Amino acid sequence: MLYDQAIEEELAQMDKDGEASLKVLELGEIHVPLRYLMRPCVVIDILASTQDAIDLLIEQQIGAAPIVQDGILRGIFSERDVLRKILNQQVGDLTHIPVERFMVANPQTANPEDMLDTAILYMAHGGYRHLPIVDEQQHPVGMVSIRDVISHLVENFPQEVLSLPPRPVRDAMRAREGA
Amino acid sequence: MDARTLSLPISTLNYRQPATVQVGTPVSAVIDIMQGGGFGCVLVVDAEERLVGIVTERDLLVQVSGQQLAPAAVNVEEVMTADPESLRASDPIAFALNLMHLGHFRHVPLCIWDDQHYQYPVGMISTRDILDHVAIFIENQEGDA
Repeated sequence: MLYDQAIEEELAQMDKDGEASLKVLELGEIHVPLRYLMRPCVVIDILASTQDAIDLLIEQQIGAAPIVQDGILRGIFSERDVLRKILNQQVGDLTHIPVERFMVANPQTANPEDMLDTAILYMAHGGYRHLPIVDEQQHPVGMVSIRDVISHLVENFPQEVLSLPPRPVRDAMRAREGA
Repeated sequence: MDARTLSLPISTLNYRQPATVQVGTPVSAVIDIMQGGGFGCVLVVDAEERLVGIVTERDLLVQVSGQQLAPAAVNVEEVMTADPESLRASDPIAFALNLMHLGHFRHVPLCIWDDQHYQYPVGMISTRDILDHVAIFIENQEGDA
């Protein structure tokens, strides 16, 4: 009897521990203001040359940048624009063509106080990889990318994701086989 | 969405079939494929269809536009990233998240391995696939609320 009771208590404790360790992503964890996630952005003037804009994306190691006119957001220029509109096209001398010609005008934006879940839905439905964050006067104040969303998810599942080995266990087995 | 979701295999997501080109393909042909199919990257394989590299939009930006190379005059192996990290479609989603976060990868090839540990690409998982998955979770939660 005592043995049965001990087993039952152990199973109950395992159930309890299991529930406690099973991390569940709550809507509240993605209902956070974008000001906590957004990265500072480097802007490009609408009159800048396309080659200067490309060089800036490379130097700053960013995938997209807001295009501004007098500080006001007018568009966004990304590496996707380079692939789709410039490479393999006879577009002429990029040092003399303003970036305005290849940017996406009037992009979807969000405000710093908008929530991450809203941004995720914008990105998923619009197919956007980057979302410029603007203030009330339409001045760019930051950028949120899909990568930032992934990082936020990982930070909310640190135990499940960050505790993983860099490669699946089969690679360790392979190394042992090869030794 | 919970820890159990992350332990599900990547195959439960709607991952894409990969676009592949062989070593020796001119970069101009790679660009044509990416523009025509709306691909964000192309996998590079050898004559036996084994994975040897990946070419992303970033590679084209940095290696071609940045250096103002003529795409028709350069072969894909000169601009690709060699030996990319890859996973199996049966691996947990958490592995893909881990690689994307730590490696800053936007795309992770999905492969099968043969007895000699050569890998053959069968799919591609991207940060967008993860984002779309989270978007469905949000919509379901909001619908329940």
